[in-house]
Amino acid sequence: MSSLTSKFYKRLFLLPGLLLLIAIIIFPLLFTIRVSMANWNVSHSGLDWAGGANWARMFHDANFWQSLFRLFYFSFITTTLQYILGFTAAMYAWKGFASRRFFRVLWLVPLMTTPSVMAIVWRSIFREDIGAANGLLSKFGVDPIAWSTQIFPATVTITIAEVWQWTPFMFLILLAGLLSLPKEQFLSAEIDGATPWRTFWSITFPLMAPISIGAIIIRLIEASKIFDSIFNLTSAGPGNSTETPAYYLYTRGLREFQISYGATMGLMYLILAILTLTILGKIFARVSKPRGI
Amino acid sequence: MNKIFKYLFIFIWSAFVLTPLSWALVTSFKPPAAVNNGATFIPWLQFQPTLDGWKDITGISGYANLFPPLINSATVTFFSTLISLTLGCMAAYGLSRFSYGWKNYKNPDIIFFFISQRIMPPAVLAVPFFILLKSLHLLDTKLGLVLVLTSGLMPIVVWLLVDFFNQLPKEIDEMAMLEGCNPFEAFIRTILPLARPGLTVAGMFAIIFGWNDLFFALVLTFTNVQTLPVAVVALNGTVTPFWTLSASAIFSILPLVGLAFVVERFLSKGGFAGAVR
Amino acid sequence: MDSLELFDEGCAVSLNLSQISVEGESEVILKDITFDFKPGKIYVLIGRTTSGKTSLMRTIAGLLEPTDGEIHLGDVRLDEVPIWERGIAMVYQQFINYPQRTVLNNVEFPLLRAGVSKADAKAQALAMIEKVGLTEFINRKPSQLSGGQQQRVAIARALVRNTGVVLMDEPLMNLDYKLREQLREEFRVLFKGSENRVTIYATTEPSEALFLGDELLVMHEGRIIQHGKPDSVFENPSTIDVAQIVNDPPMSILDAEIRDGKVSIGNLMSFAAPAHVKSQKDGRYKIGIRASEVVLGGSGSNSEQGEVSLSEVSGSETLLYVKLNIGEVVLQLEGIHDYYIGQKVTVSLAPDRLFLFNLDGTLCAAPGN
Repeated sequence: MSSLTSKFYKRLFLLPGLLLLIAIIIFPLLFTIRVSMANWNVSHSGLDWAGGANWARMFHDANFWQSLFRLFYFSFITTTLQYILGFTAAMYAWKGFASRRFFRVLWLVPLMTTPSVMAIVWRSIFREDIGAANGLLSKFGVDPIAWSTQIFPATVTITIAEVWQWTPFMFLILLAGLLSLPKEQFLSAEIDGATPWRTFWSITFPLMAPISIGAIIIRLIEASKIFDSIFNLTSAGPGNSTETPAYYLYTRGLREFQISYGATMGLMYLILAILTLTILGKIFARVSKPRGI
Repeated sequence: MNKIFKYLFIFIWSAFVLTPLSWALVTSFKPPAAVNNGATFIPWLQFQPTLDGWKDITGISGYANLFPPLINSATVTFFSTLISLTLGCMAAYGLSRFSYGWKNYKNPDIIFFFISQRIMPPAVLAVPFFILLKSLHLLDTKLGLVLVLTSGLMPIVVWLLVDFFNQLPKEIDEMAMLEGCNPFEAFIRTILPLARPGLTVAGMFAIIFGWNDLFFALVLTFTNVQTLPVAVVALNGTVTPFWTLSASAIFSILPLVGLAFVVERFLSKGGFAGAVR
Repeated sequence: MDSLELFDEGCAVSLNLSQISVEGESEVILKDITFDFKPGKIYVLIGRTTSGKTSLMRTIAGLLEPTDGEIHLGDVRLDEVPIWERGIAMVYQQFINYPQRTVLNNVEFPLLRAGVSKADAKAQALAMIEKVGLTEFINRKPSQLSGGQQQRVAIARALVRNTGVVLMDEPLMNLDYKLREQLREEFRVLFKGSENRVTIYATTEPSEALFLGDELLVMHEGRIIQHGKPDSVFENPSTIDVAQIVNDPPMSILDAEIRDGKVSIGNLMSFAAPAHVKSQKDGRYKIGIRASEVVLGGSGSNSEQGEVSLSEVSGSETLLYVKLNIGEVVLQLEGIHDYYIGQKVTVSLAPDRLFLFNLDGTLCAAPGN
């Protein structure tokens, strides 16, 4: 298109949204950067200059790095579980059986619930004394498990809450993708007599690759921010064994009013996240290319 | 063999999905004894159901009233979804049809910029948002919250819709322009009617993420505006009995559960076809 | 609405392109296109797929921005007018209609955009729909129509506005053979009464071009390499490229030499120069002959034996590719014949049907009629 008029329209589409976003985000971003290089004491006004002091402190902060390490577990493992379970459920809900429409609704429900509220419910389930989990176990003669006072059980509770909450997200996106697949390839596979397993691996899975990748990336981004369940279920306990970066940032930055330090860690997190995403993006791109997708 | 696995999976997964929901539901009807002396499960058999929990949260017993927060949540979610859909849809269309460039940054980079807004943990953004809203006198207002939520919802909308628009043939809007529509008219008259499936998906995700936000509502609103998740978590913070908490949990979940039905109807009608890549 | 003002029933304007060039990221798409399109004529752009026909049309429509040059419609500098005010109609080779609108609404749409009243728009749309023969389908959606019918809707939409310029980019390419022939006939009727309109039609098929066009523009690699009446371009292609484009199947081109009034092609063919070649200087040349004018059999100084390398049945004709010592030659034979690869056949080239080209490809001599 030519002429200034078309430039006008071009901008008309993108700029309102983009500018609003930048307007809302630019101050926080600049603020975060500036504040990370100061030692902001909320009671005084004005910002001093501390240079890289906060950054140096962060590099030596074992808690921070441990929380990051833990995050790898939480985000990657929960996302993988969610993907596998979600895909399985989607495959069955696709055309598997008669009353599948009812089950589609049922399996979608967790996605509609409020994560923080559900975390409260899970907490009541995993209460060691009067919770449902131990109550049920005792009926089968199993000793009560220390859900909130031992590290591994606590981790399990978070995993269960996360998987329950977000598998439907994968489920929905993958089911939508499956429903929009063209039928021809499946017809020819049927004619050739391929088994369901074979059909899945050779046809369905590759065809779903772009959608799977998109869903996984989006889910990873969200999973990394995991906060609601930690806050309401374990409070990062026992001790700080289930502390994630988002929670640690909350503790130091907001609860203890160390805003500058929180800002520093936040920026470090942002940088690491963008790096990881870029690397992941490249890996995914290379993995999906050879299949001619 | 495969069949056994299939039905086993369906059964176990469904049971898993129902577990916390049924526990909360049942617990919301329990009297104190049924909760504090160990876990009980079956009403009428193990305990006598009461409506105390429900009376507590609907303002009848004077303890708390979750209806006002419900309305707040609805209002805030509605407006932030509306704005992010409108602006996000236009941005996505622009990114699909035109090529933007500023020095070395082109369309994929712009899309990445949108998506990266979701990366930052809320804890870090909370303070600057607090300061920002304070200076605009928008703290503890619906408008302030709507603005902040919109910045988080627009990326999702853009991500979903760019792919979707890419699938609609460019030739249709070209044709509309040749026939006298300026690009905006072409967009509204010819592409938008075709975009209903994509808009529905994007809108659905926007509603879910907007309605269920806890963090920003917690930090940026206090007394004038309280959304539902904040109200429920506040109950959790004080010494609230479990039956009341459970009732509040079910209460806060119900509105969106209806959405699940809508989404499924939509899925089955093939509405998602082409909406997700 | 500007587009109607640009064009008025009684006033016919010509479309003028002056040194239009379009450069892509790594290649030149159009180079130095200069041409004057007069109203009332049907211009056919013929050329291979990448020759720039579509790009030229898109540039005229405003969908592609020229890096250089000017476009004028009458007095108006067209390339400074936005697309939606240019008053140009276009038909794509993919069937493009508004999927959510009925056929009637589709055809009404451009009229309504131009400010025509609802009642008038409906009437004019119905009239045009009848012209393309789709009256019983007015309430159907495009997805419920066949390919040919969808294209008719697109054509109706393009013609209903009576714009000053109508562009058609290989509209029949995606239709089957029979439909193509049928619609070609209908075009003749549809394009009647368009004395005030510039019609530009792009195609890759010579037969279509010869059938429809008042004037031919041959495009190759982004340039117009020859233009003129279809017959004269066909009889006098200015270069080998043109000859290949306007002949289907393409001409066979062989190296030849003229010496002392004799034409020799390779070692085996040597014969007296025909009348139209006699006046040429001695030297090396290239000879072209149409597939329909290569003869099977014969003996003599203009014949040679070779092997069949490919035999292709196309429609009701057979194309025979024969490998001779001097090069490969294509024959177009009436009817369906059976040949196997390697079969030995003799071919003859009629000397008075030879086209003579210089080594740089330009035409030296063409056979008279």
